[in-house]
Amino acid sequence: MSEFIFNWLVNTPVYATPLLLACLGLIVTARAGILNLGAEGMMAVGAFSGVVVVLSGQPLWLAVIVAMLAGALLAAVFGIATVFFRTDQVLTGLITVAMGLGVSGVMGHSFTHKPIQGFEGISMGWLSEIPWIGKIFFGQDLLVYATVLITLAVWWGVHRSLIGLRLRAVGEAPSTADSSGINVMRYRFSAVLIGGLLCGLAGGYLSLAAGQIWVEHMIAGRGWIAIALAIFARWRPFPAILGALIFGGTEAIIPRIQTLGGDIPVYFLLMLPYLLTLAVLIIPFVFVKGWKDDVPAGLLKTFVREERQ
Amino acid sequence: MDSHGVALELTKVSKQFDGRPALSDASLKVNWGEVHALLGENGAGKSTLMNVACGLYSPDQGTMAVSGVPVSISKPADAINHGIGMVHQHFKLVDRFSVSENILLACSETLGVSSVNDVAKVITEKSEHMGLEIDPYAVVGEISIAERQRVEILKMLLTGARILILDEPTAVLTDLESENVLTLIRRMAATDCAVILITHKLREVLQYSDRVTVMRTGRTILSQAQTSEMTREKLAKAMVGESAEQITSQSREMGADRYVIWDIKVRSPSGGVGVDGVSLHVRAGEIYGIAGVGGNGQPQLADALMGLMPIEEGHVFIDGKEISHLGVKALRDRGLRFIPSDRFGSGLIPDFKAYENYGITRILNNVYGSWIRVNRKRMKEDVNATIETYQILGCAAATKSRLLSGGNAQKLLLARELDSELSVLIAHSPTRGLDIYACNTVHGLIVKAANRGAACILISDDLEEILTLSNSVSVMSRGKISEKRPTRETTREKIGELMLGHA
Amino acid sequence: MLNRVYLVSRQQIPVWLRIATFCLGIVTGLIGCTLILMIFGVPFREIVNEYVVFIFLDKSGFILTLTAFVPLALVGLAAAAAIKLNFWNIGIEGQMWMGTIAATWVATYDVGPENLRLLIMFFAAALAGSLWIGISAGLKLRYGVNEIITTLLLTYVAFLLVQNLLFGVWRDPSSGFPASPMYTPEIERLALVGWGRLHSGIWIAIAAGVIWWWIMSISRFGYLIDAVGANPLAAKAAGLPVIATVVVAAILSGGLAGVAGLVIVAGQEYRLTINIAEGFTFSAIVIAFVARFNPIGVLFAALMIAGIYTAGETLKVFYRLPNATVVLLESVILLSLLIVEFFSRYNIGIRKAEATP
Repeated sequence: MSEFIFNWLVNTPVYATPLLLACLGLIVTARAGILNLGAEGMMAVGAFSGVVVVLSGQPLWLAVIVAMLAGALLAAVFGIATVFFRTDQVLTGLITVAMGLGVSGVMGHSFTHKPIQGFEGISMGWLSEIPWIGKIFFGQDLLVYATVLITLAVWWGVHRSLIGLRLRAVGEAPSTADSSGINVMRYRFSAVLIGGLLCGLAGGYLSLAAGQIWVEHMIAGRGWIAIALAIFARWRPFPAILGALIFGGTEAIIPRIQTLGGDIPVYFLLMLPYLLTLAVLIIPFVFVKGWKDDVPAGLLKTFVREERQ
Repeated sequence: MDSHGVALELTKVSKQFDGRPALSDASLKVNWGEVHALLGENGAGKSTLMNVACGLYSPDQGTMAVSGVPVSISKPADAINHGIGMVHQHFKLVDRFSVSENILLACSETLGVSSVNDVAKVITEKSEHMGLEIDPYAVVGEISIAERQRVEILKMLLTGARILILDEPTAVLTDLESENVLTLIRRMAATDCAVILITHKLREVLQYSDRVTVMRTGRTILSQAQTSEMTREKLAKAMVGESAEQITSQSREMGADRYVIWDIKVRSPSGGVGVDGVSLHVRAGEIYGIAGVGGNGQPQLADALMGLMPIEEGHVFIDGKEISHLGVKALRDRGLRFIPSDRFGSGLIPDFKAYENYGITRILNNVYGSWIRVNRKRMKEDVNATIETYQILGCAAATKSRLLSGGNAQKLLLARELDSELSVLIAHSPTRGLDIYACNTVHGLIVKAANRGAACILISDDLEEILTLSNSVSVMSRGKISEKRPTRETTREKIGELMLGHA
Repeated sequence: MLNRVYLVSRQQIPVWLRIATFCLGIVTGLIGCTLILMIFGVPFREIVNEYVVFIFLDKSGFILTLTAFVPLALVGLAAAAAIKLNFWNIGIEGQMWMGTIAATWVATYDVGPENLRLLIMFFAAALAGSLWIGISAGLKLRYGVNEIITTLLLTYVAFLLVQNLLFGVWRDPSSGFPASPMYTPEIERLALVGWGRLHSGIWIAIAAGVIWWWIMSISRFGYLIDAVGANPLAAKAAGLPVIATVVVAAILSGGLAGVAGLVIVAGQEYRLTINIAEGFTFSAIVIAFVARFNPIGVLFAALMIAGIYTAGETLKVFYRLPNATVVLLESVILLSLLIVEFFSRYNIGIRKAEATP
């Protein structure tokens, strides 16, 4: 049994990291008043392009950068449409999902099911030797530690810095930000790009570290779970860590239970993450009196300066 | 600086919105050291002209100069750089931010600070000196309207603005608060700033301004006149053209108590003031005015009476029958009618055609066809007759409602609501944003409805409106209302005291 | 340069401008699609051949197009019904899956008399789809939970349910493939109309379109949908049953999706397999938006998308293009349509450059 729990805890960060990264990207974007439902698509292009780089013999770090840029490129399409051409955010987000799945599906056709040598857990000398704790806290791969730093950076950037104050103002009340001399469109577009970078990285993590392979449909709804996670975390970075660990923990337990063998219906196990997501969306509304989802007030609102009041 | 030089000059500014002219060759010239009133009706183009000055609107034509030097202002940042600041009628504040964060947002560069704590220090230092005391850590969404305005003024001054524009600063304040702000404005002008006071109140112009410019339908009617040479009548004539006839509420026969509210409580969903135990009774043919500064529970009261929000406790009766827990449809069937404060929010559907908006309240009563088929022809006939009777201009049966002007949209709404089955009317700020002609029409229609025996509740923050129309009056403050008094036996001052919650 | 551009919303968009931007959007979208296919190595002549000649002008091709049209028209209506009320049903695939499960259950366990079997399958599928969307509708209206996420997540749940059945109790014992046993001919299959493989589901699709047109343009319920969709607050203040309207429309939407599942299993496949519903949600949304929610427009838009499906199938064989091609092409068309719409929604002004001192 202790073996079971140990393996479960060691693997949890691997499942939590991509969710957290995508969730952070969505938080940055939403704080500027833009809901990018395209996370699933951006993760797909990130995952696929990262593997392509590795398969063509390039180093892993380059694969990570390319994955991020691929996510940002797709985000740019979304951003140009929603920020500059004022298209509907929800609809454009769905288009972004379709484009991401379409592009990665079409172009990734010849790279599918080819295992790669990706990120492995690192060793931090004697720290990693500590029984139990060593492996869990000091034996993860580099991207997991990078994600911790990114979370801190997002928190500081959004909630502590002056730029973050402006970003949140753009998301809460674009016309107020505008009349204070802030370039609303520039902030919104930049936030969309940062969101794309992080979602691309999340996808890259799935293919370069977690799966070490590219398969179509490998994102399997994680982009949508990340959106639910962001809602659950009320668009704040630190609660997102907690949420990502809960979800990562749930996902990590599925293969553990499978290895136990026995007569457990596998497809019902696989439903767990989705059902859990539904549960966390509903529970606060049912049990917490006066629960507000705290969305930025300007979310989904198109900004046109010369709109007549 | 030359205290009599020209601070801001706008020359022959024109602006169209989607083909509709909002400004036609409007001009304005303001000197340093003066309070310059920009007077005009709702919709005269005052705010539009000033939005051009502060970089929010791009004019189609016209030039602008600051201190005699031609400038090009194409975005708000340009205006800030030229020392132009504006307090908008709908404040430009982020409600979820604290006072300091709001100030930091606009003034980080001019103050040279980048942290909330530094800004808070500046605020504490400077606000007292300027007579604008405010808690720098208070969250804007939780402070009073008057305090928010102080934040806005402070923000404007801290960006280093010296050409100060205030758009209807007294519209949402009590008389006493208004006086404070206007005195402050005079003080600011005395420190060699140029102050532009946008208003439609003649009293403010005469009492507090040095010069006045009057606008009407996008044009400048009177430029740079010395206020000392002006009279009330002259200004009124410039503002509205031929003097419009004032509607007064004649005395009329009043019947028995028709609409009775007994100690109702309504919770506010946003957590602010709700309705905290309101009782009142309205007789048939009576107009009962509920005055008060906005944000004291009026929207919740109106919504609850309309059935849009649940009544937590208490009872409501029409003609002795309890209706507290009925839905909107059932209330309407009992003759309750509404004029909401936001005519395109909960009144009309902007994208619906005039006849569709007209028929919507009776569609379920089989007046216009059945579930199988909607009788649109009949709707069109009815609305065409209505357009004729109510003289709704620029409106055909198939005109989309959002293309109507404010006054005509309101007429369409009133025509729908004030039908023959009306027994109780709840009107919430029915003339908000309308010019004087439309105001008079609306007032006339409400009086007519009362004459027909309807019990009317008029909730408004416009004291003039209440005093002109209503037979009796109460003041709403912090979710409660004061004792009912006949309008004849009360005065402006008394009501003002009640608004502050002193009585 | 960009700093000098400013926008003013048009209050009234002239009809000619609407038509012009619509046509321009479709044309640029199709050009985009052509370019993408050429990048993937399909020669231009082949594209014209496949996308114009084969799918619409060749008899066998047109039959394939019409067959693909049947479920697409139904899901297009399903999307239009819900999204018109700002209820984003992006769980159409999930509702299709539930519909197919219900239909297959009726077929497999021979529920009801044989001459009514198809009818029972039809209603079972519609009911299952309705119940599945009903979960999301209930959560939204009762607790305000975002329906975009819930409908989508329930799709994954439904798909796993299908897999559980097909890899479990319903696995075809004769072949061992993850597919249910074949439906009984005549009794559990939709009749062919006598034109190749085209089946009588086409009448269901066309009837659904016409009925939906009647609902939206003539009946009172359509008036309610219009009002609630345009401004729910004003509709409520006018005394209309806002919640009931949303619930009924959502349930109709789910039901239509369930029936779309039925016409595939009972009309094309004659059994339940694991690649039936893939990609239908997005196609449905594309169809609804291309048609601007107009019921008859939905039928035409569905025909266009059906063409893309059919041509995609042949290109898949000859040029080894994967399934994802169709989704990519659809997204390009819709995005181009949306972006071009910008020019009709806003008046674009250019500020005169002035000498800045």
